[in-house]
Amino acid sequence: MLALAAGIFLASCEPEIDVPTTSPGEADFSTYIAVGNSLTAGYGDRGLYREGQLNSYPAILAQQFRSVGGGEFAQPLFSEEQANGSGYLRLAGLSAQGAPTIVPVTDKLATNQAGRFAKYTGPVQNFGIPDIRLADITTPGYGGAQGNRYFERITPENDANQTYLQRVQAADHTFFSMWLGSNDVLGYATSGGASSDPVYNITPTNTFDVRFSDMVNALTAEGQKGIVATIPNVTSLPFFTTVGASIRQLLGLNPAITRLFAITGAGASRISFAPSQINTPQDGVLIPLTASPYATLVGQPTGLYWRDLAKQVSPSQNALVIRGTLVALLATYQIDTTQMFGLSDRNPLPSALVLDAAEQANVTAATNDYNTIIKSVADAKGLALFDSDAYFKSVASGFSRDGVSYSPAFITGNLFSLDGVHPTPRGYAFIANEMIKAINSKYGARIPTVDETQYRAVLLP
Amino acid sequence: MKRKILALIGGSLLSGAAMAGGYQVNLASQRQIGMGHTGTGITTGTSSIFFNPGAMSFLRENGVTIGASGIISKIAYRAPEPSGATAKADNPLGTPFHVYGVFGINDRLKAGLGVYTPFGSTVNWGNDWNGRFGLSELSLQAIFIQPTLSYQITDQLGIGAGFVYAVGGVNLQRNIPLQNSEGAYGKAELDGKANGIGFNAGIFFKPSEQLSFGLSYRSKVDMKVDGGDVMFSNLPTSPAIAGRFPAGTEFDATLPLPATLTFGAGFMPSEDLTIAVDVSHVGWSAYKSLRFDYSQDVNGSNFAENARNYEDAYIYRVGAEYKVSDAFALRAGGYYDGTPVQEGYLTPETPDSDSRGVSVGFGYKLSEDMSVDASFLYINKKKRTDASDLSGGVAGTYKSIAYIPGIALNYKF
Repeated sequence: MLALAAGIFLASCEPEIDVPTTSPGEADFSTYIAVGNSLTAGYGDRGLYREGQLNSYPAILAQQFRSVGGGEFAQPLFSEEQANGSGYLRLAGLSAQGAPTIVPVTDKLATNQAGRFAKYTGPVQNFGIPDIRLADITTPGYGGAQGNRYFERITPENDANQTYLQRVQAADHTFFSMWLGSNDVLGYATSGGASSDPVYNITPTNTFDVRFSDMVNALTAEGQKGIVATIPNVTSLPFFTTVGASIRQLLGLNPAITRLFAITGAGASRISFAPSQINTPQDGVLIPLTASPYATLVGQPTGLYWRDLAKQVSPSQNALVIRGTLVALLATYQIDTTQMFGLSDRNPLPSALVLDAAEQANVTAATNDYNTIIKSVADAKGLALFDSDAYFKSVASGFSRDGVSYSPAFITGNLFSLDGVHPTPRGYAFIANEMIKAINSKYGARIPTVDETQYRAVLLP
Repeated sequence: MKRKILALIGGSLLSGAAMAGGYQVNLASQRQIGMGHTGTGITTGTSSIFFNPGAMSFLRENGVTIGASGIISKIAYRAPEPSGATAKADNPLGTPFHVYGVFGINDRLKAGLGVYTPFGSTVNWGNDWNGRFGLSELSLQAIFIQPTLSYQITDQLGIGAGFVYAVGGVNLQRNIPLQNSEGAYGKAELDGKANGIGFNAGIFFKPSEQLSFGLSYRSKVDMKVDGGDVMFSNLPTSPAIAGRFPAGTEFDATLPLPATLTFGAGFMPSEDLTIAVDVSHVGWSAYKSLRFDYSQDVNGSNFAENARNYEDAYIYRVGAEYKVSDAFALRAGGYYDGTPVQEGYLTPETPDSDSRGVSVGFGYKLSEDMSVDASFLYINKKKRTDASDLSGGVAGTYKSIAYIPGIALNYKF
């Protein structure tokens, strides 16, 4: 009985593993601000919504900074009532073969009829603005009624011309993260290099250089420390690799098909390529996720893409007007929809559905130039650097952590959300952890990383 | 068979957290636990059925012993730095038990029956920790039933052997890294009954009143699960996914319970003092992999296998008993149990490392026929950090401790 009593007494003693010490190192995390685009806002599943905001990498960083003196971190969260924010995509079904049915979420939105948001007037420390390019940061009116609706949401009513740079300059901070620049090349890539609209052009390197320095100078004006990130080469995103794989599979069934035809650039010029060039690293052709409704039509006489485009760009939804728009489009691009889609140079794949080798080379060249600038500025300013380009290349072939497999594969890879470009909350947790490691190493800090498995991947029906 | 045993002793007595090396549970007698679980080189009463069947023939009276321990075990976990993730295994109370009966057929020949639990493990990590896709909960049970004969060849020499029939079971639960539309992770549960056979043999030599030696060999027992149930829950309902985890799947598996060869010696410098030492060699290298064969494909494969590649290990024990009076004895002991788990192979099922045990105990005679033994054992396993990259385990740092009080009643007739 004595032994039993002793046992109960001693049972309160726990096995101990020394808690690693935490330390801010040379940095001061008391007031943290995050500068960036959709990735910084917590955007995913082609939308910005409350769950994504709560799991944004700046929110994760701020949470971990608290163990080393970090303070509150205010995000422009959508309310619970409007939790679905801009709306987003969800996976509604999977066919027996595993083909996804992806549908928009349209309830509890924060948008009005025109798709704009009500003003958010609370304090903001997460300045992540979806769609923003470095080219936009000094544009007056970018937060106005005609500007970016996410920036408009946080721009003060009485200061509609405040630029993004000015807004960030006005914020006090002791530490910052800055991950800007992806959109300066992403728009070109996701539109297949097809648009003549400047928003979808690649920002010239010298503009990027000037704007990047403008922003870093503003952020380090009082000698603050921070972390900057390179931009990933977008061509390895599932957005560009998923549909191509299924087209290859489709065409592989018919060895007689040796050439595919496509329009390149913003005009009507044609290129042709072999099916085996799809998704290959050298001289390859990528097919964006936007092509998925048309991928199964390759080899059939169809004008579906052009009818959809006509509806979209027609000045009126009057059937006759749409009809007229379609006829004009077909004439401009010299299309004969009775020909086999993709297999004839009279009915080629539209430029927007193909990122060909030349276009990829433009993307890669710009990305490399931008990253050279980012790295040299980080180095000159003594800032921590998250080389996201190197990180995403390192995970391209997949890895395993805690019994879970990860890869850039669409849906099954766990890292990317349903838009094929933005990470899942799990993917953002990995990014936050990589940033913490970079901060620890640069500033001699000891900040713990998070358990990534506590953040969700794609929810499966 | 197992069902009868269950009815006999009650379900709660079945679990025993693995607190020796691997999933061995060395808690076969309260008197011997008090003495560092030595006992092969001395006469230990009825528990010689377990420690050394050769020594059983030296028993002068018939006897029955029933005893049990309560294992309060805790395991702390910390993910590799710089991760801040931690976890704690909240293990249910393990209750290994034993029942021994010895009956003298004549002066030289004794018959005995032992029922004891030399292997088992219950680990509950829960469904929230970062390793839950490897393991959330595991329970292994093995009850050995051992009829035994022992013959005293001369006044100095005895031999004995018993046949072992083992029954038990395994229940393993883990999360599947697929989240359904509610955000819940899928779950797999493997549950099966197991059995196996083996033997336990020993030789005991007592050249003088002051000295004795023993050698025992408990054979390997392969615990086979045949047609255990595989159950899935919380999975996404789309046929494309759910169809990969078919209901009604069964599994087969074999878990080797390793052979143990022990040499022991006893020194009795006076009538009041007994000192015992044991050295055991445990044939853990029999445990090469944990493999489940499924009756139909599960997520595209009809089996799951993870390397274990345990190494043989040694256990060194020392213990003493001092008779304060005719009725009261005090005991103390300790041991060092080398881990069979090689670097890179640590798993959350048995986050094993070299372990140290210290024990105390006492015996008290209630009457001429009746006595009681109580023991208390503290086990402290060395903190161990492992990449677990060869076993499909969960990398990190593990630290285990256990408090094991126990009590037994002896009746002589």
